[in-house]
Amino acid sequence: MDAVRTLILALTATAACTPARATHVTIEVRTPSGAAARDAVVVVDAQDGAAAPAHEKAVVDQVNKQFDPQITVVRTGSTIVFPNHDQIHHQVYSFSEARRFELDLYAGSRNASEVFGKPGLVVLGCNIHDRMLAFVAVVGSPYFAKLPANGTGDFDLPPGRYTVSAWHPELGAVHKQTLTVESAPAKVTLTLQAPPTYDPVSAWPE
Amino acid sequence: MQLRTRIALTFSFLLTVALATALVVVSLANQDIKERTVSREVRNFRSAFEALLEANRRQLTEAAHSVTDDFAVKQQIALRDSATLVSTLENGACRIARANLPSDASSTPGCDEALEASRIDGVMSVLTAVNGSVMASYGSQLEPGQKFPHLDEILASPRGQSAFMVVHGRLYQLVVVEVRSPLRVAWLIMGFELGRKTIGDLRRNSLLDVTLRIVTQRGWVRVQSTAPADAAGDEKFWVDPLNLSDIAQMQLAPTRVLLDQAKQPFDELRNKLEWLALLSLLATAGAAFWLARNITRPLENLTKAVDRIRAGRYDTKVPVERNDELGTLAEGLQVMQAEVLHRDQRIRRLAFQDGVTGLMNRTAFVEALTAALAIPGRPIAVAVFNLHRFRRINENLGYDVGDAVLRQVAGRLATAGGTPAREGSGVARLGADEFAAMTPLDDQADARSWGARLLSSLSDPVVVDTQPIDITATVGVAVTPDDASQADELLVCADLALQNARSEKRGLALYRSSLKLATRDQLSLLGELNQAIERDELQLYFQPKVELATGRVAGAEVLMRWQHPSRGLLGPAAFIPFAEHTGFICRITQWAVDRAVRQAALWHRAGSSLPIAVNISTDDLADVQLDLRIATALKFHGLPPNLLTLEVTESGFIDNPDRALQMLDTLATLGVQLSIDDFGTGYSSLSHLARMPVNEVKIDRSFVIGLEADEEFTTVVRSAIEMGHNLGLKVVAEGIETESSAERLRAMHCDIAQGYLYAKPMSAGALEQWLDGRPRVPLTCARTLPRERADADALPEAAEARTA
Repeated sequence: MDAVRTLILALTATAACTPARATHVTIEVRTPSGAAARDAVVVVDAQDGAAAPAHEKAVVDQVNKQFDPQITVVRTGSTIVFPNHDQIHHQVYSFSEARRFELDLYAGSRNASEVFGKPGLVVLGCNIHDRMLAFVAVVGSPYFAKLPANGTGDFDLPPGRYTVSAWHPELGAVHKQTLTVESAPAKVTLTLQAPPTYDPVSAWPE
Repeated sequence: MQLRTRIALTFSFLLTVALATALVVVSLANQDIKERTVSREVRNFRSAFEALLEANRRQLTEAAHSVTDDFAVKQQIALRDSATLVSTLENGACRIARANLPSDASSTPGCDEALEASRIDGVMSVLTAVNGSVMASYGSQLEPGQKFPHLDEILASPRGQSAFMVVHGRLYQLVVVEVRSPLRVAWLIMGFELGRKTIGDLRRNSLLDVTLRIVTQRGWVRVQSTAPADAAGDEKFWVDPLNLSDIAQMQLAPTRVLLDQAKQPFDELRNKLEWLALLSLLATAGAAFWLARNITRPLENLTKAVDRIRAGRYDTKVPVERNDELGTLAEGLQVMQAEVLHRDQRIRRLAFQDGVTGLMNRTAFVEALTAALAIPGRPIAVAVFNLHRFRRINENLGYDVGDAVLRQVAGRLATAGGTPAREGSGVARLGADEFAAMTPLDDQADARSWGARLLSSLSDPVVVDTQPIDITATVGVAVTPDDASQADELLVCADLALQNARSEKRGLALYRSSLKLATRDQLSLLGELNQAIERDELQLYFQPKVELATGRVAGAEVLMRWQHPSRGLLGPAAFIPFAEHTGFICRITQWAVDRAVRQAALWHRAGSSLPIAVNISTDDLADVQLDLRIATALKFHGLPPNLLTLEVTESGFIDNPDRALQMLDTLATLGVQLSIDDFGTGYSSLSHLARMPVNEVKIDRSFVIGLEADEEFTTVVRSAIEMGHNLGLKVVAEGIETESSAERLRAMHCDIAQGYLYAKPMSAGALEQWLDGRPRVPLTCARTLPRERADADALPEAAEARTA
């Protein structure tokens, strides 16, 4: 059952990705103070249909007692490999509901990997090093971006109705709005709203 | 109050003030010490309490971290495994309880036992979500899902500090630690209850009573206290409470032990001070008393000395021999005493000694006499002397000579009066020319010879600066016990005898009682004499004057008689001397002149003119209005002045010869005749006599009477008559009683005679009868103008002045 549905979702997504019908949409995200929101994660979800899971691969490295990158956005069903490039042990874990796991103590570049099959925000930590922190955003939509320094992301979207979500881990800020894509290219500017308390997990839009 | 008491009281008072001040100062200082002791204790308490809180905080923080760092705990949180979380929290609490067990406790007691045995009152451990809702709780009675109260406030409290919270009436010290996996997923709140054990521990290490209070809806509520419930404590030592985050506070109060401890030094000091005060008060009182005595006893001695000196005892020994001010005072007193004594002696000398002669004065004499009279058994004689004409010696020869005369007289009297020298003999100078002497006698009869001896000692002239000066004296003598027994009376008696001697012109008279009677009579006479003139009791008697050669009547002398209502007819000797002494004579003279002139004028108008002679006394001559009165009488009654003769005694010139002479001159210009009465008895200096504007002299009766017996008197009388005639004066003799006397006088060419031989004094009527048929000296002959005088220049001018 699940396999059949997954197949249908994947077909639908493939159809939606047809380049000829796509419209160029630029989404700019600003912090509450108006600056460009670097590292903000933008997800554009089509309101009328779900995309099929993707089996992509991503790497969250551990270097100098830091996760690298600290923000990773992957599509549902992707596999993330956690190599350890430090000379010490790490014990990577997640108590997030989207994906709860615990890697045994390991050292070196043993390619420990986890599959993130559920959309949601996963917070990664190291049981040994309290200060190690990384976010893995698992999204169902194929349209997403981790914004560069200019806080702007470019999307080619088929016309239709979308929900645009923006989230920023350090600010703990989020923005969500509906976007209707026509045939003409468009530019959307979002301003993040900072919640009263810093809770990036709760702030995750989905 | 006595000086002694006052000094002692002053000293004690000052000391008391000083001691009281010291006590107050010590009290204040002690109060300060007390407060400082308490506040030091409070500081210590605060430090201990803060150290405890910090230790608690560290322990709690550590314990919390041991929970939150546990991966299993993080898993349980992620899994929301409440039951496991609660047990985890309980386990942490047990661990912390065991960590706080006393060192002697058994190693692994159960959780509750450990908690009970530990120093900790209670442990609270609560795990909440980030939003504060309770996930698991131990020891707090909070239910899962409940919101942890005041979490935001607790989190807002500064890092490194504990928070405080009241949960269900219990006060907790809290720490909050976050749980990260790796983001913050929960809060672990751990806390110790601050209750009985904590307070007790604090109290054990402090001397303060601690009361813990919390804020409730009903206000401050007392949670725990170490203070006895009934002890209010020493309210003023309550210090500011230690506030625990506005919801609780520690009230601190010094315990009795602390207060006692703080008070102890003061109590000891005060105790010592009180003893010191008592001792020093006693010592001061004693010292002050001793000092006061040291001052006042000499003062009392000085006072006694002063009293003795005041009483006149100048031999008083002033008893203070010291080197201080009192010694100086005593010395001054001693010196003062000596000077007072010296002055006293000088005053006594002045008071009792005559300055000129060195003899006793009257006062001293009376004293000495009184003293002598006090010795019974032998008579005391008192003699009073009067020097004649001493005044003239002073005036003519100077006071130096007069004083020298007095000194010599004094010496002679002292020698004579005191020979043989006897106890109780003495000589004094009573007044200017008056001396007195006294001596005890073996026999009263010796009084006369003693007096005569004294008198004769003065018979030789006194020689002053080789100049011999004649002195004569009269003496009156009185003797005890017959004459008087008191000193004053004796002197009076002697004085009366002296007067008697003088009036009788004798050198010496003894007192006899009749003199006193006479004196007494005279005293009563004074009053009566006053009335005599008004009552017309005085009468004029006339004694005729007869020309010796022819036996013709030449005139009459007017004499006074007093028809006394009780004593009968009194002669002039009975009252005229007295009147002269009392100054009454002037009035009598005036009366006599007036009546005599009236009578003479009557005769004159009747064609039987008779010259009359009226006696003028010494006092009358001193009366400046005498001439006016006489002129008035003559004019009033219409008598020619030449019919009036004024008889003046020689002694009238002694006191003030110039003025007397001037009056005589004035009277002469009136045209009245002037006569010198008692010629030869007094002093009659020829030079004076030559200057007097007189018409006649009257030889004193004593000479005339002496004519009978003494050939020597004959010579005197003859030379007196010749002298009068040589001066161009008529010579009158009075007191002629025998024919032989008359014959002698006639032989000596005396002009006029008067006496019993011819006629006694008689009344005017009797005279008229007596005159009847007798031949008279013709008036023209009787009228004798004033003779030509050697210094005739003064009189005519005066006469002219008068007549003009």
